[in-house]
Amino acid sequence: MRHANVYTIASKDIVFESFDGEAVVLDLSSGKYFGFSDSGSRIWQALSSGVDAQALIGLTAGASTIGPAELDGFVSQLVELRLLTRSDAPAQPLPGDLLAALAATSEPLNVSVHDDLADLIIVDPIHEVEEPLGWPAVKQAS
Amino acid sequence: MPVYNRERYVVSALRSLVRQRDVDLDIIVIDDGSTDGSAEAVRSMMRETPCIRLFRQANMGVARARNAGLRQLPPEAGFVSFLDSDDISLAGRFKRDLACFMADPRLELTYSLMTLADRIDDERLEPAADSRTMTLRGISLSAAVFSRGLVDRTGQFDEDFEQAEDTDYLLRVFETGPNYELLDAVAIYYRRHAGNVTREHSGRVRNHLRAIHKSMRRRKADPSLHEVQGIFELKGPANWQML
Repeated sequence: MRHANVYTIASKDIVFESFDGEAVVLDLSSGKYFGFSDSGSRIWQALSSGVDAQALIGLTAGASTIGPAELDGFVSQLVELRLLTRSDAPAQPLPGDLLAALAATSEPLNVSVHDDLADLIIVDPIHEVEEPLGWPAVKQAS
Repeated sequence: MPVYNRERYVVSALRSLVRQRDVDLDIIVIDDGSTDGSAEAVRSMMRETPCIRLFRQANMGVARARNAGLRQLPPEAGFVSFLDSDDISLAGRFKRDLACFMADPRLELTYSLMTLADRIDDERLEPAADSRTMTLRGISLSAAVFSRGLVDRTGQFDEDFEQAEDTDYLLRVFETGPNYELLDAVAIYYRRHAGNVTREHSGRVRNHLRAIHKSMRRRKADPSLHEVQGIFELKGPANWQML
């Protein structure tokens, strides 16, 4: 049996959304945020929902075919950025609409890293706050 | 100043503005369909302070309320700032900012610090002695004084946003590379309290991600736009760290 490569979100500090098919990921612990090319957004959606990375090889994306080295490089990058981590969970099926969306993409796999809002994201205003006073989740260093 | 059900705080917010008699203020209050005594509280202030103008509308959300306020700007208004109805504007902050504009006619924006406080003495309009405080250069429209030209160029608040419309607006402003000055002075006390709209966490995160996504999309479409590097930072206390 082929060994599955399943990933999951690396920590609870990783939050993400898709808008019009474009993914944006935020690491609340570092304050960095991440943008993707169109094909990268779809692959992020697949991987973050537990689709086997192996199942993506050979699919049409970015006006080309996803090769094993290209996918491996992309996944390794997401792991190094601490957005994804390996999971023992059973692989999820690739949604049919994602296959079509992937085929419609035109850019190569890419993730971009941004830290211009880092301090803002770390401290305020979106972090979870302590009850009941609504204070940013920070503590005084010892 | 957009107001929605803030009868408890709105008078303090307005008092913090009208005490700044060293500048010529036109205070536009948009009551966004409050169901409490907010409008009456504002009216009680208007009897003594004619520079406050109150407009009421059915509840439409903060982005539409801010746009309603922008539409009321008088033609002769040279500078624009904002204050939320539960926050406190520090005495002298406008005079200080306007002095910067007078010194540099090309200046389009001043951007100051904000101090978060969980207890504010509403008599003194200062953080209470037992309040926790944290000072940062954060996302706050109240930290800014905009030249009228910059406000006109930036356009409306994006009404897609239920929250984080201020983040979106400030990102749009900074992306265009305005001529700005960062001031190391505190402009507002930001009141942290149980009723802060910003405390509804999942919606807040989604709206914030939407603002970031829109910013990335704008910069992708127009590479002449800037990242907002070096603007936002935590100033103190210096020895805070994340849990």
